[in-house]
Amino acid sequence: MKRNLFHLLSLTMAAALGLAAAPAGAAKVRVVTTLTDLADFTRNIGGEHVDVFSLATGVEDTHGVPMKPSFVPAMNRADLLILVGFGCEHAFLPALLEASKNPRIQYGRPGYVDCAKGVVPMEVPKSTDHSAGDVHPYGNPHYILDPVLARTAIQNIYDALVVVAPQYREDFTRNRDAYLAKLDAKIAQWKESLLPAKGEKFVSYHEHWTYFAKRFNLVYFGTIELKPGIDPTARYIESLVASMKAERVPVVVREPQFPEKVPALIARQTSAKLIKLPIMPGGVPNTETYIKMMDYIVHAMLDAAKERAPVSQ
Amino acid sequence: MILVNESSEFNAGMKLRNLLWWSAALLLSVLVAQAQGTNDNEKFENQLKQLQDKFDKQQRELRETFEKQQRELRESFDRVSREQQAEIEALKKQVAAMPTNAPPGAQPESGTADQIKELNEKVEAVVEAQTKTRPSEFNPSIGFVGETIFSYRSQGSGATGADRPGGFDAFQRSVELNAAAAVDPFAKGYVVANASADSVTGEATLGIEEAALQTTSLPWNLELKAGRFFGEFGRLSYIHDHELPFVNRPLALDQYIGGESRTDGAQVNWLLPIPHYISLTLGAGNGFGGDSPLNNPGTYRALSGLNYFGRLSSYFNLTPDWNVEAGGSALINPSTQDRGGAIPQPNGSTMTEKQRQVVGLDVKLNWVPLQNNQFRGFTWGTEVLFSDSRYLVDPDGSPDPAGEFMDRVGSLGLYSYMAYKWHRQWSAGFLFDYVQSAYNHSDETFAYSPFITWALSHWNQLRLQYTHTDPNAISGLHPDDALYLQWAWIIGSHAHGWQQR
Repeated sequence: MKRNLFHLLSLTMAAALGLAAAPAGAAKVRVVTTLTDLADFTRNIGGEHVDVFSLATGVEDTHGVPMKPSFVPAMNRADLLILVGFGCEHAFLPALLEASKNPRIQYGRPGYVDCAKGVVPMEVPKSTDHSAGDVHPYGNPHYILDPVLARTAIQNIYDALVVVAPQYREDFTRNRDAYLAKLDAKIAQWKESLLPAKGEKFVSYHEHWTYFAKRFNLVYFGTIELKPGIDPTARYIESLVASMKAERVPVVVREPQFPEKVPALIARQTSAKLIKLPIMPGGVPNTETYIKMMDYIVHAMLDAAKERAPVSQ
Repeated sequence: MILVNESSEFNAGMKLRNLLWWSAALLLSVLVAQAQGTNDNEKFENQLKQLQDKFDKQQRELRETFEKQQRELRESFDRVSREQQAEIEALKKQVAAMPTNAPPGAQPESGTADQIKELNEKVEAVVEAQTKTRPSEFNPSIGFVGETIFSYRSQGSGATGADRPGGFDAFQRSVELNAAAAVDPFAKGYVVANASADSVTGEATLGIEEAALQTTSLPWNLELKAGRFFGEFGRLSYIHDHELPFVNRPLALDQYIGGESRTDGAQVNWLLPIPHYISLTLGAGNGFGGDSPLNNPGTYRALSGLNYFGRLSSYFNLTPDWNVEAGGSALINPSTQDRGGAIPQPNGSTMTEKQRQVVGLDVKLNWVPLQNNQFRGFTWGTEVLFSDSRYLVDPDGSPDPAGEFMDRVGSLGLYSYMAYKWHRQWSAGFLFDYVQSAYNHSDETFAYSPFITWALSHWNQLRLQYTHTDPNAISGLHPDDALYLQWAWIIGSHAHGWQQR
């Protein structure tokens, strides 16, 4: 009896130790991404070897993903946390990281994957004084809307996957190369598609489009927000409308996270075309992947440029 | 006799004959073998010769191929060199033929050299800047909070029991300095120092509200916090005054906890290792409640003199936009050691606390629309507390212990509030308060507080709140109407903590 009990206990302990010691790579690599574009990249590179959970669903403001306790168990078990970087997730990620109690994915650890590594930021502020609003201290973080810079994020994700699951390196490499080839072909297509819109000016609600505008030779005229995170005052709206009329800005971009009222008002007063553009896959219907999202954005911009009406004086 | 000799000779002859036969056989074998060997040798030599011929032929062919390729490479190189040289000569002729705006004697390469020099200087400056060390390099994240309450109360403090005077008042309730940083790879530390203006002298004396160490890498989903901190009890006890969703702390929390749930001690939090979020916190400390008196341990504090507290909480997504958080909390101080001394009561008696127990249930329903949560939202939060304390009652409040008796008082308190946000800057709500005195559950107070908040930005907020307080006659206090204007602002670092979600 005692011997049986001893055996049973030993077996149980061995099983428990085995479960506890089982490397994450033995099963799928558990990945948590902050935003949906990173989730799409990770699925494309990781294929069947990754299990991906995105904190955002695609419709959220990138700075306003809610801190849900339901995220905590997923982050607790994650092997990798993949984020955009440049402080994009400052409003929700630090608290979630603390609550996750997962040392593998804390800042500075191999499981903390900052996709901005290697990206040269634009609009790095000289000062982080709050008089400039909710500035991004490390520079504009919305670089993934430039598909050429998105390649850097893809490479960073690939590098992290290879470190955490080297046994699947060949598969990751093949998948990455295939996806990059597909993306490169689309980049060439998007560049060509937007050639007719070269030099076109537009405004948006928040400063999401700096990198996108530079890549596709558009002119990012300004934002509807007074400052980052600060809604426009009546006086500011007035001066924006006046300058848009003077410079003949034909397009107003509204990201779905922001209310329509003020962008619609500005578009009416300037006779500009109001378009709604997602900033993440899933932001509007039929944009579930990064490529589909960029297809949507490029076509919407192009259509808006083609339809430009004479700007009212 | 000859027969014997003939026999011997015969035998010898036979032997000789046999020997000869064997020798011949042997010799013949050797000859045959030799012949065969000779044949094999010839064959082998032929094969060798063939191999040699073949090898020589292959060598010749390889040498010829190599020499041919060398010739071709040399010819190709000569041709490319000739072509490049011709291009260079053509370009030189073009450059020579181009008109130049450079002043006489100018070196055409100097502009480029200057640009390169300038670029090099810029790059060096950037590299040097990155390697500079500044005295503030190791400073923690530092932030500062200011909070002022402008108020009008219809009754004086004698009628309301408030710390602040009635009528018109301006109260610097918080002057708060907070700092946080990693201690090492294993823990982070934070400090919150706060000064609140004294109602009599007006002086704001800085006190330490929190100064604690929090581990960041314990195994088994554990987290330890130790030092001075706000213990996890309920939903709003560990929220700083200026971060509350309304101006004043709910009456039940003020009475049963004593303001913020400050304690000097330690707490352990465990995140259950299951797919569903369940969090358990257990802690112990000296004192519990920033505004409540400490125990009087005398010269020795037993384990029963400490406060033990805990909370179990969970979370449920009802839909992508709706969720609910719920929790249960408990606090027990087995021996309060005459905490606060003999507290005078309205009926002339005194009550000295001997044991303290509080249990609470909290639930919060949230509407956080994923797409527009910066601009819209709704919260309904409710907390119900039950205080169960034992007191030594002195009916006449005299030093004479005769007539004193032990009494157990169970009291109920609750608050419930709703807040609706319809704009990034604007939200409004309502708070309902009900509390029975911890000393006498017949002593009841109701309060009703509508409020409106204008958040100019993340760091600058104004709130206007009206409160009608309605104590019953047992308390000896009077109903009161108050208007509050709260202005809270932040400079420096601000972190969106887990408790502020």
